[in-house]
Amino acid sequence: MTPEYPAEGDLILGDVVRLEHVLDRDAVGKVCRSFFALFGLPVRVIAHDGELLADVHQDRPLCRYLNSFGSGERACDNTVGDVRNVAPARDSVVHPCFSGAAYHVTPIEYQGRAVGRFVIGPYVPAEADEAPASLLAVDPSLDARTALSHFEAMPRVARDVAAKLAAHLRGTLEILVFSGHRTQLASTMQVANVRENYRELAEKNERLRASFEELQELDKLKSSFLATVSHELRTPLTSIIGYTEMLESGAAGTLSDGQSEFLGTIRHKADQLLGLIGRLLDLGRLEADTMKLHKEAVDARGLLSDVGSTIVPAANRRNIVLDIDIHDDTPKLFGDPVRLRQIVLNLAENAVKFTPEGGNIALLAAPGTIDTGVGGGLGEALFSSSRTAVVLTVRDSGRGIPEEQVSRIFNAFYQIDGGTTREHGGAGLGLSIAKQLVDAHDGRIEVTSVVGEGTVFVITLPAAEDHG
Amino acid sequence: MQVDFAAKELTVKLVYYGPALSGKTTNLRALHWLTTPETCGELMTLETQNDRTLFFDMLPVTVDSKTGLKVRLKLFTVPGQVMHDATRRLVLQAADGVAFVADSQKSEAEANRESFANLKENLREIGIDPEEIPIIIQFNKRDLDEIRSDEELAELAARSKATIYKAIATRGYGVVPTLLGLIRETWNHLERQHGLEDKFGIGAVSLMTEIESKLKHDPRLRER
Repeated sequence: MTPEYPAEGDLILGDVVRLEHVLDRDAVGKVCRSFFALFGLPVRVIAHDGELLADVHQDRPLCRYLNSFGSGERACDNTVGDVRNVAPARDSVVHPCFSGAAYHVTPIEYQGRAVGRFVIGPYVPAEADEAPASLLAVDPSLDARTALSHFEAMPRVARDVAAKLAAHLRGTLEILVFSGHRTQLASTMQVANVRENYRELAEKNERLRASFEELQELDKLKSSFLATVSHELRTPLTSIIGYTEMLESGAAGTLSDGQSEFLGTIRHKADQLLGLIGRLLDLGRLEADTMKLHKEAVDARGLLSDVGSTIVPAANRRNIVLDIDIHDDTPKLFGDPVRLRQIVLNLAENAVKFTPEGGNIALLAAPGTIDTGVGGGLGEALFSSSRTAVVLTVRDSGRGIPEEQVSRIFNAFYQIDGGTTREHGGAGLGLSIAKQLVDAHDGRIEVTSVVGEGTVFVITLPAAEDHG
Repeated sequence: MQVDFAAKELTVKLVYYGPALSGKTTNLRALHWLTTPETCGELMTLETQNDRTLFFDMLPVTVDSKTGLKVRLKLFTVPGQVMHDATRRLVLQAADGVAFVADSQKSEAEANRESFANLKENLREIGIDPEEIPIIIQFNKRDLDEIRSDEELAELAARSKATIYKAIATRGYGVVPTLLGLIRETWNHLERQHGLEDKFGIGAVSLMTEIESKLKHDPRLRER
């Protein structure tokens, strides 16, 4: 892609294109007024193209008197016009006036180029002895005495003094041009820089967006792959289980003890596999947002008792104490009973899996509240409302989860013990599914854990009351 | 290169590039100091965060030519710090030739390499072919310890297409030969591209002679 660059030629070569771009009119005006106040000499600053940038003067009695005559006014206009058009190349030029006065025209140079000029005057050169004949000849009705007395009252400046004053003013104006140019370049460069940085960022954003979209597409593909594969695996597996059960029931003849035992193992492993495939399917549906929930009022006591009785045999085998406590005021839950059981059972089975011999596990239910529409936005926080909820807690005295891994345990396929010699089985799907199921119920799941002391999962789910 | 027929001027833009603290600014300051006052404009410094961009004009060099065209040289430095990449690209625009100021210290070899790669990348970004534009290389800070030896540089020069100059910019040594070398290569390149001698009657020899007369080779000869 060819970047667009600013058309500022003055930035590329650092040239002053026009004097008025770099010279601050107010500053020039102030300098000229100060010059006038000091020396009583009028000053005009003119850009290269003839534009007047500053004009500080006061009509002299002589000029006013001459301007009161038609021919005097014309002659005066001509002189002033001529002076404005004088454009000296390097050195000052003194332009005479018919009245005997003079104008000192000096170029303003920058980077070796004349960018403008300034005019000092009219003044009478101190070297002039008397008024020239052209003064009195300008109009026949002119009163010589009045004209001459006004001529005497004109400011007088010696030639070398005029040259020094001009040199001083020239230096001042050139410094103004230099600093004005620097400011102009700096700001142009800043703007160009900002534009350039913006362009770079915009390009990067575009690339990020494209790769994000690609990832989203891949994620969709993964979900649909999961769903398809799980479905295809389940069909033959169901047959395997079915035929195994038939064999076990003696449909194909009496079995020896050894055969029964082997078939039992086959069925147990096949059930495990079916469970795993079921979870993969659930995950696929949850991620594709196609899982249907059949919500109804669910009794928390029944839910926890059911889960408790399911895990009791495993807990007993390892001398784990199971405690179930339901607060009297606990309302009914509103959710899909099968999925709610799946959530709690998942957490409870995990608790058993990770709690050492002789430890303890608690399943608790209590009333609570849940905020709806909780988000980061100001409006959302302001207008969220509180609803009655049920708080389910699954607490264990297991090994705990290291702090840096807590944020990742709900990711699909994530396992804290991710090495090849994993001590505990599983595909790392349980917590991810539990989290997504809780989300699908508009609930919240939180975990706190201390390594070596245990883990507490707290699930807050909407109560059935609000749903009548 | 820019030709202003109204002002009868031909402007050539030369850029000093290189890593931070390699001596680009020192080169330009030394050149400004070594140039006769009537031959150069004010040295302009534009401050950017922790770094700066410098430039000045070498004012129209008048060469005997039938067209009366004058040559104006514009010398720029770029800010060397990595963060000022956008500024470097802006300054590089419309450059006719580049002097790459490298730091001779062995410890700076990686910084030199990175900056040179950055130069090439930025030239490409702004549509200039880095293989086409004249680039000369100056190894600065020859007075320091732990530097790449003369033999190493000679070998590098033999291997690379670029011309290598040696300098101690803080003392003004080598900065004029670097500039003259840069002008010579740039002018030859422009001549091949545009046929300047035929078109404007400006010959390389007369131009170089004129420019050399504006510069003092021995810094001790001038005080300003």
